[in-house]
Amino acid sequence: MDEILLEGSLTELADRFGNITSNILYPESEKEVAMMVKEANKVGKKLAIVSGGTKLGYGGIKPEYDFTLSLKKLTGIVEHTPGDMTVTVKPGTTMQTLQQYLKQYNQMVPLDPAYASASTIGGVVSANESGPKRLKYGAARDHVIGMRIVYPDGKIIRTGGKVVKNVAGYDMNKLFIGAMGTLGVITEITLKLRPLPKYSSIVTLSVQEDALHDLKAFIIQLQDSTIEPVSLELVNPMLSKNLFHKEEYHLIIALEDVKKAVLFQEAWIDENKPTKAMMNVLKHSEDFWTTFNELTPNSQNDFHDTTSGVMKVGTTNMGVFPLLQECDRLNLESNVQILAHAGAGHGLSTIIFSGLPENVVQSIRHIQTFSEESGGYGIVKHLPFELRKHLNTWGQQKDSFYLMKGIKQKIDPKNTLNEKRFIGGI
Amino acid sequence: MVLLAKKKKAQIDPDILALTKIVGSKSILHHKEDLLSYDCDGFTIHKAMPKAVIFPKNTDEVAAAVKYCANHAIPFLARGAGTGLSGGAIPLNNEVIISLVKMKNLLSVDYENRKAVVQPGFVNLKLTNSISHKGYYYAPDPSSQYVCTIGGNVAENAGGAHCLKYGVTTNHILGLEVVLPDGEVIEISPNGILDTPGYDILGILTGSEGTLGIVTKITVRILKNPEAKKTVLAYFDRVEDGSHAVSDIISAGIIPAALEMMDQTAIEGVEAGAFPVGHPPDIEALLLIEVDGIAEGIAEQIEQILSVCENHHVRDVKVARDEKERDRWWANRKTGFGAMGAISPDYLVQDGVIPRSKLPEVLKEIRNISKEYSLRIANIFHAGDGNLHPLILFDSRIEGETEKALLAGTACLKACADAGGSITGEHGVGIEKKEEMRFIFSDEELEAQTAIRDVFNPHNLLNQGKLFPTPSRCMDIKKVVNETSLTKST
Repeated sequence: MDEILLEGSLTELADRFGNITSNILYPESEKEVAMMVKEANKVGKKLAIVSGGTKLGYGGIKPEYDFTLSLKKLTGIVEHTPGDMTVTVKPGTTMQTLQQYLKQYNQMVPLDPAYASASTIGGVVSANESGPKRLKYGAARDHVIGMRIVYPDGKIIRTGGKVVKNVAGYDMNKLFIGAMGTLGVITEITLKLRPLPKYSSIVTLSVQEDALHDLKAFIIQLQDSTIEPVSLELVNPMLSKNLFHKEEYHLIIALEDVKKAVLFQEAWIDENKPTKAMMNVLKHSEDFWTTFNELTPNSQNDFHDTTSGVMKVGTTNMGVFPLLQECDRLNLESNVQILAHAGAGHGLSTIIFSGLPENVVQSIRHIQTFSEESGGYGIVKHLPFELRKHLNTWGQQKDSFYLMKGIKQKIDPKNTLNEKRFIGGI
Repeated sequence: MVLLAKKKKAQIDPDILALTKIVGSKSILHHKEDLLSYDCDGFTIHKAMPKAVIFPKNTDEVAAAVKYCANHAIPFLARGAGTGLSGGAIPLNNEVIISLVKMKNLLSVDYENRKAVVQPGFVNLKLTNSISHKGYYYAPDPSSQYVCTIGGNVAENAGGAHCLKYGVTTNHILGLEVVLPDGEVIEISPNGILDTPGYDILGILTGSEGTLGIVTKITVRILKNPEAKKTVLAYFDRVEDGSHAVSDIISAGIIPAALEMMDQTAIEGVEAGAFPVGHPPDIEALLLIEVDGIAEGIAEQIEQILSVCENHHVRDVKVARDEKERDRWWANRKTGFGAMGAISPDYLVQDGVIPRSKLPEVLKEIRNISKEYSLRIANIFHAGDGNLHPLILFDSRIEGETEKALLAGTACLKACADAGGSITGEHGVGIEKKEEMRFIFSDEELEAQTAIRDVFNPHNLLNQGKLFPTPSRCMDIKKVVNETSLTKST
């Protein structure tokens, strides 16, 4: 059904976001992927790789590809050994399907990317997507232990293995995680799992801007204590209005452990919180995260008249404070609405812009410069194709860029896969 | 006399002169007698002499030396403390060894952002010791942590007993400064900021066994000590019961910080070693289990672990009474390899990994290998993540026994590979397991890896002959072994 939906709006999607064409191929097996890729490579055709289709607005400055290779039909669990806590899954499987399957065994893939209902594991790994819980659980690079990759010449290459600890040869998994499909087509992913937490809760602390400094001091105190937060996600007032119906800064502290340990931590927070902070404990943490994860616009749900753009910004952990304050200054001074949440424990922020196209572009550019000037980076995760052309969506290149170019050149010399999708036009 | 002196001077190798100019005369060794202790690392079965050893004091000196070697086609390699167990720092091609032991400073600690910056020669345990007063530590804890360097840890993607819960080195590296094989210096995520856009160069460099670049500065993640820690020791009459207990602890949704196992032969060794704790000699297996976290939640987990052990017919199970007892148990475990010296003149340590659920059958297979080769094999291992360390006991004075031990080691790795596992979990491939790479990778997959090496190290001057099997010829391991002079392994 998803497939039909996607086809129905294909032209619209292609026009609006790019990174897809109406010539779409649906291989049903790894063997078919290999045949198609090999043939395209041989005759010099360019392929756009698509899985769930939520990231069509993410990178990419090439107006057209010859074919789209969709991984929609490569779905399902290949192997799950509960005792080993590993799962092997095909790339087109949505995060939601995967998590629901694992839930029966009290296990989970410890990744909480946005839009789990449509995002596929292949896309999440290819774009190295993570969410607020990265603080405790880490990212795809920490959980993927093996993959099967179709190389541009049609060779099938296994990376890593099926064991949780492995240093045999180069850690090739790392190359393909976050490579935006520019090096190979992932046909199978093996991941390390974790047990579902026995108990979880969410504590929120809300403060007005004048007490933001106290909140920061509290986070430092909390990190110096033995409390083990799963998230320390700072939410700006504009987004807080959506989530909590209150226009103040909110800190979302997720706690996951056995019940006693969670309750102890809740009490600790209550005791040590800044005097000006209001504390709230959310009972249904799972529902909250579902709402939270669906709020970021992406190419499957963004067909509004106002323009939306999404950035991922990397700073030092404490760098999220000046970043969010800068966002709020822009909220007041520009005609763009900016919703933002930022990991005070891992330094990764998601910033959502909406407004008139030129204002969105201008604000993105501003935040990108701001991030780079403070030693971090800002990349554009979602924006219509026409507007991406006005920006360097991947930000400044670093001095290691020539190695990246060398890697692309070595693996995909004919630029068969996702040409110009990635940093520096790789 | 004058003539002789002149002649002697003329004979001094121009390369040595050039390198001396770069690092200074006090930071270079090139006389044969000085080089002897650099002919191997922790893998002592294979030896080769370096051309020289230099001790640069900063990144510029490393870069200048590398540039010189690159321009003059001189093979070179980097070395940390030389504790590697797979021969990664052995100068097979008469290399210039770039020792990083003089770059041993802790450059900065940033508690707010939970990171520290160290030079590559900084000793692993020193980092934890330097930040413990604030309640912080550095998680990867290889058994050699009191002497091994963080630079070496990055090269090998080192693990340790506590990696089950906290991950191995690659999960804790946030940024690197690297001298590439052409002498260029690059910085990757110098501020330790996550997910720098682009391919994950950090990830591919970590664990590349010194074949892609020389790390000169490392930004690592530091963690807060858990509030509480409890350690359990459990004795099993049957090794199968111990194995099943391991699976059930994990299945109960507990992720212990460490979950270690020793079999009967290993127990005999550690009890004869420097840190005996009085383990009964007649049990087939013991488990050392540690859980940590919020104190309020620990008691419940310990109860669950005890009941799992009871369900699997544990003979005796106890919780460490205090820190002192815990430390004694850990000293007994962490010195386990060396303790084998007390019950055998020589031993060889292997490093296979298997899916946890295959533990009983692979242990059985290892027992068969032991019988087949008539060599005792002790097992000390990280059971929680399926990382086995079969220790093959032998006597090199008996003709042919060393070769037999090596073959038995290979057979153990084959058993791991056949069970769906890997040939190394934390010791690396080096020269020791080059050929065994074929147990798990096809020629095409090996080529995919060497293609990446060619991007970083196109002339293959840096640490040549490591990690990958000799191309196009399935080398007979026996033959290599026979040609090699064999000495006591440590």
